[in-house]
Amino acid sequence: MAEEETVVSKRISSNRAQWPIFTVLVLVAATIVYPLYFVVITSLRPNADYLQNPFGLPGEWTWDNYVRLADSYGIGQAFLNSLFVSTVSVAFVLLFASLAGYALAKLPVPGTKFITATFVSVMLIPGPVLIIPIYLMLARLELVGSYTGLIVVYVASGLPFATFFLTLSFRGIPDEVIEAARIDGAGFFRIMWSIVTPMGSSGLATLAVLQFLGVWNELIFAFILIPEQSMRLLTPQLASIGERFLTDQPLVSAGLFITASVPLILLAFASKYIMQGLQVGVSR
Amino acid sequence: MTSAPVSAPVSAASAVPAGAGLPPRKPGGIHRRDRTIGLLAVLPAFIIVVGFMAFPVAFALFISFTKTNGLTYQWRWFDNYIALLNDPIVHQVFLNNLKFLISVPLVIFIALIVSVLLFERVRGWKYFRVIFFLPNVLSVAVIGIMFRNAFGYYGGVNQALGLFGIEPIQFFTNGSTAIAIIIIALVWAGFGYQSLLLLAGLTAINPAVFEAAAIDGAGWWKRLWYITLPNIRRVLGFVFIINVLYTFSSLFGFIFVMTAGGPGFDTTTIDYLVYLRAFSSTNLGSGAALAVILFLFIGVLTLIQNRVFKLGEED
Repeated sequence: MAEEETVVSKRISSNRAQWPIFTVLVLVAATIVYPLYFVVITSLRPNADYLQNPFGLPGEWTWDNYVRLADSYGIGQAFLNSLFVSTVSVAFVLLFASLAGYALAKLPVPGTKFITATFVSVMLIPGPVLIIPIYLMLARLELVGSYTGLIVVYVASGLPFATFFLTLSFRGIPDEVIEAARIDGAGFFRIMWSIVTPMGSSGLATLAVLQFLGVWNELIFAFILIPEQSMRLLTPQLASIGERFLTDQPLVSAGLFITASVPLILLAFASKYIMQGLQVGVSR
Repeated sequence: MTSAPVSAPVSAASAVPAGAGLPPRKPGGIHRRDRTIGLLAVLPAFIIVVGFMAFPVAFALFISFTKTNGLTYQWRWFDNYIALLNDPIVHQVFLNNLKFLISVPLVIFIALIVSVLLFERVRGWKYFRVIFFLPNVLSVAVIGIMFRNAFGYYGGVNQALGLFGIEPIQFFTNGSTAIAIIIIALVWAGFGYQSLLLLAGLTAINPAVFEAAAIDGAGWWKRLWYITLPNIRRVLGFVFIINVLYTFSSLFGFIFVMTAGGPGFDTTTIDYLVYLRAFSSTNLGSGAALAVILFLFIGVLTLIQNRVFKLGEED
């Protein structure tokens, strides 16, 4: 970090003409922010008002689109379903990955090479390859249409990266601390709970945010594995709303904003952790 | 400490982690206990991953050699593969994937410009970084529907064209314009993250190199061309490969919400065809065979990537 700061000051002190660069960056940023702004504004106006003057501010502000989505299209339920599935999946990923990550980082696990190689090669499997076998397997286990099956799939697909990530971040915990705790009589779970978890909290938080985003945003398996309308998660529900209401842009925009709201809130409040995760993604 | 000598060997022998709370005594015992505990700690993750990631791949391989509706399996050797290779739809879909590759140079070019600009560390560059990362936290469902809406008949783009007196365009009834719009969505969604990857590559360059060049009187453009770009060629290669992989394996979400593969099969990609074959045909074996081909293709690309990286590390 300190090194980065000195680089920053050097580059700024080189005193280049910064305004052109700043302007271009603002323009590029606008191409990202404006479409989202357009979605939010559109979602807050009636359709007639939108068709009359789509680019101005609404002549009439209304929550009506959100109310309609909640009352007639079960978006509230879908939101809660997504929240439930994402939270449970992330909890299991964190649990299993921190156990495995700590063991791989600090304990002499037999077959470490084989286990790590399995995790790494599994990370390369493209999602489409899994569609057919997973569907058939879960159908055989009678888990299609239940959240259990979906959560198992999310946990399984999240674990390889999560384990890899936590192994790296737990390696940073000094051996002396763990050794001292052992001499004081702390066992495996005690060490996990009182040393590894707090000392690795930043890595755990990063991982939790990344995994949550991944599950919340997932579309294919949420669509295939939950056929029951009332149990739908948010992304498939949004997809079907988007398909049915081509002519009602404000309604669809409200659905878009509801689906995007949670990731945006996470980005706003946890951008530090998300950016840390990015660094690991680079070194991978 | 007093009760430890009795129970520690017992728990090690029965391999139950409940005994983990007890301090081990003998050095050999410590090691064996640690190995057992370590293995038990890794096991849940390992079993889940093998059961629901590795096994399904093997299962897909099996299915690809059979004719099946998911209930009964008839072994058919390479029939599915031969049928796929002679299938004109598969040829068209593969060509579609190649068309989507146009997004790769576009996204890398924009990402490169943005990263070089970010590297100048102008005021507020950290906020720009977060904004550019923003599309990455959104679902493909959100991005896809947003772009379909924007380019829809009543969408923002047609409304804007209307201001200039241009009749609304049906972007999605024509394969080429539909692909163009999906590519725009891909570029929008991808350039920010990739510019951050490239920025990380730029940051890793030794600043002394820049200073030396500046002292020698090299201008901004010269430094960009002779120092910056050559120094990040590894990261550029990495970004290139992940883009290609992405084009072949992860367009499903965009296609699903934007065009459903249509008109006809004009915007269907291989990964979307796997889904179509899986859920709208009577022979799952065909879909599985396509998935296996996709997997092999991606595997080869990844191997090439690794090879290039190994070579890159030596210099």
